Amino acid sequence: MATLTARAPRRIGAPIVLILPALLFGLLVSVQWRTQLERSELSVRYNAPLLDAARSLQSEQEVLKKQLADLRAQLDEIQRGAASQSTASRDLQAQIEDLRSAAGLTERTGDGVQIVLDDAHTTVTAPAANVDKSICHSTDLTDIINAAWRGGAQAIAVNGERVVGSTSVYCVGSTIMVNGTLMSPAFTISVIGPQNELLGAYDDPNELKDVKQRRDVYGLGFRVTRASGLRVPAYAGALNVKYATPTER
Amino acid sequence: MRGNAGVIWMSIVALFLGVLAVTQIKAQDVYTRSLELETPSSLTTLIANLAERNNALRDEIFDMKLRTEAARDDAANGRGTLTEAQRQLAQLRVFAARTSVKGQGISVRIDGAFDDKALSDLVNEMRNAGAEAISLNTVRVGPRSYFGITTDKSLTVDGSAIRGPWTVSAVGAPEVMYVAMTRTGGIIGQFELIYRGTRFNVSRESALDLPSLANPPRG
Repeated sequence: MATLTARAPRRIGAPIVLILPALLFGLLVSVQWRTQLERSELSVRYNAPLLDAARSLQSEQEVLKKQLADLRAQLDEIQRGAASQSTASRDLQAQIEDLRSAAGLTERTGDGVQIVLDDAHTTVTAPAANVDKSICHSTDLTDIINAAWRGGAQAIAVNGERVVGSTSVYCVGSTIMVNGTLMSPAFTISVIGPQNELLGAYDDPNELKDVKQRRDVYGLGFRVTRASGLRVPAYAGALNVKYATPTER
Repeated sequence: MRGNAGVIWMSIVALFLGVLAVTQIKAQDVYTRSLELETPSSLTTLIANLAERNNALRDEIFDMKLRTEAARDDAANGRGTLTEAQRQLAQLRVFAARTSVKGQGISVRIDGAFDDKALSDLVNEMRNAGAEAISLNTVRVGPRSYFGITTDKSLTVDGSAIRGPWTVSAVGAPEVMYVAMTRTGGIIGQFELIYRGTRFNVSRESALDLPSLANPPRG
């Protein structure tokens, strides 16, 4: 009798030890199943040909940009050669080179700052409104670029895409396009320019208030660091000057 | 023996638990971005945008091939490449906002409250629609232009304050830009919801005159 009484707690204890993990197991299975269910609803069967088309166009764009860059280099070489023939040609060539640099058509290297913008990485299931605040938007990128120009930036690239006068940051669904190139976070913004002024612009409490608040409250990834020896590539897209006619000589 | 079986079962359960916990943690990364998760509607918009960009690149490649061949012939025949150089200079001066320009386009007149973030978004939208040159009232927007707002609610472009009402003018394909601005759910529609007391008027323009950049940046 005494033996039975002594054994009772052990019999009860073993199932409890198993019940707790089993409950957790069940909970995780159901959450996992719900997550999978939501995703499968999103992956519509008609997406496959559209996805193929988007990927194929993106690959084609890379080839076209390379072709255009090669042609620009060829034409530049011909002109440099011809420029030695007369003073007028030399002057024109010097102006062209100055403008190419000002317009972002030449590679730049130098010191500056690097900004990393990324979606929050949290394990907490956030309500939809918070998710919106935890992820990066195209307007965050335009605000970061605006602050860089204000800080005296000389050249900017977003994930290797040079920011020029025709650059747009365009958002469709959750995909962001810069110069027509598809991108996803994390975004690395390389900014060449005076480091102290640039850091000062980003430290200014009036700048990027929303981004900083979302970083502090919702875990949005936003980090600005001093960087040396940055390389910002030349703009490789089309210049697209068809409608505007210069009125100054 | 029974004790060993219990330990084995508990180990199996713990293993599953670990695997599921890790999978769930990864799955609950706040937001999953992937092209695969885009809706057909978004993918169609992305495809249209990519196709348009690629067509512009193809046009420019075609044009560049002709110009490269012509310049090569001119150089080989000792004629020099002055014509090509002048053409390139004109194109670059427009692209870098170093010359005043004229051309067709659109104007957006803004009468009422507005701010620098919205101005930046509007300029971004115009660029995406193919604007070749943009100005705010009489101030040209350049490749490195930045926007701000003063305490008396004037907008600033490169530090120059401009009081409202404002007119943002863009030289480019008028119809394309007009549709991009005024489409349902487009930027003007969004502004009208946000700035309820402000009047936005978008118009196609047959002859715009935009100034050059007042203070081109150095370096």
